[in-house]
Amino acid sequence: MISQRIVLLLLAVLAASGAHAATIELTVNGLVCGFCAQGIEKTLRRNAATDDVFVSLENRLVAVATKPDADIPDDILRKALKDAGYDVKAIARTQRSLQSLREQVKAKK
Amino acid sequence: MSLNIRRVAQAIASIATCAVAVAAQAKPIAFAHGTTVMGEYGAGTMTEVQAFYAPTFRYSLGVSHLTLDGAIERATRDVSYVRANYLPKRWNLESAQANVFVWGGVGRAHIGETSDDQFAWNVGGQFDYETRRVYASLRTDLHEASAYSHRIDTLQLGVAPYEHDYQTLAVWVVIQARQYTGELFRGTEYAALLRLFKRNAWLEAGATQDGKLQAMLMFNF
Repeated sequence: MISQRIVLLLLAVLAASGAHAATIELTVNGLVCGFCAQGIEKTLRRNAATDDVFVSLENRLVAVATKPDADIPDDILRKALKDAGYDVKAIARTQRSLQSLREQVKAKK
Repeated sequence: MSLNIRRVAQAIASIATCAVAVAAQAKPIAFAHGTTVMGEYGAGTMTEVQAFYAPTFRYSLGVSHLTLDGAIERATRDVSYVRANYLPKRWNLESAQANVFVWGGVGRAHIGETSDDQFAWNVGGQFDYETRRVYASLRTDLHEASAYSHRIDTLQLGVAPYEHDYQTLAVWVVIQARQYTGELFRGTEYAALLRLFKRNAWLEAGATQDGKLQAMLMFNF
C-alpha cells in the first residue's frame, strides 16, 4: 500500500515536471518605448501557441502566456524578438500568471 | 590659421546643431509588418504626409508628399516621392536604444514660380538615442531637382517628466532647432513641443519662436 502511494507520488512529480509552464518571461534589451512594445506584442501574438502577451518597459520584461499544453521553444522566441529588432538577454519559464505580473508591475508604481 | 580654426569651430557647431535637431524625430520604421501613417505641419514652411509599410524592422517602403513654402522668396515646391527607409544599425542597450536610419526617394516636383513639373530626388539620414527619460535625434534631409536644392537639418532634444510604460501615456517636452537651406528660411528656426503617445498613436504640437504652429500626428498599426 505504501509502495503504491510512493509510486503514485513519483508519477505525479514526474508529470508535473514534464508539464509545460504557463508563462515564458523574457528579459529584453532596447525596450524603451511603446512602439517597441507594440511591435513585439504583434509578433508574438502571431504564434499559434500564444494565449496572451504582457510587456513592461519598466522591467524590460516580455511575458508570454501559452495555450494549454503548448510551448514556444527558446530559439523560436529569440528569433521572433531578433526579427522584431530586439535582443533577448534571458528566458525563464515560470508559473506566474500574466494577471499576477500585471498586478505586480502596477503595484510597484 | 585663426580663420581655419573658426571654420572648423563653425563646422562642428553646425554638425552639433544638426545632430540635436534629429533627436526628437519620429522613426521612419516602426516595427516589422507595421504600417506607419504620419503628417507633419512645420510652421508654414514645410508640410509633409507619409505612409510606409515595413516588411521587416530593417526597411520600409512607402509614399510621401512634401510641400515647401519659402519664407524668403515665396517659392513653393510640391513634391511627391516613392521612398525607401533603411535601418543599417541599431544598438539595443539595457535601458536605451540608438538607431541610424537612412532613406531615399524619387518623384515629381511641381515648381510654384514657373509651374514646371520636374524629376526630383531625396536622400536623408537620422541618428537617434533614447531612454525612457531622455531623447535626442539629429536628422538631415536633402531635396533636389533642377530648379532647387534644399537641405533641412533638424535637431531635437526631449525630456520626459516621468518614465512611461506600455500601458501608460508617454509625455515628452521637446526642444527643436531646424535649419533650411536654399532660401526657404533664414537662420535657425526653434520650436518647443509637447509630445504625447500611447499604444499606436503619437501627437506632437508646439510653436516656433515666431509663434507659428508646429505639429505632427502619427499612427502605427
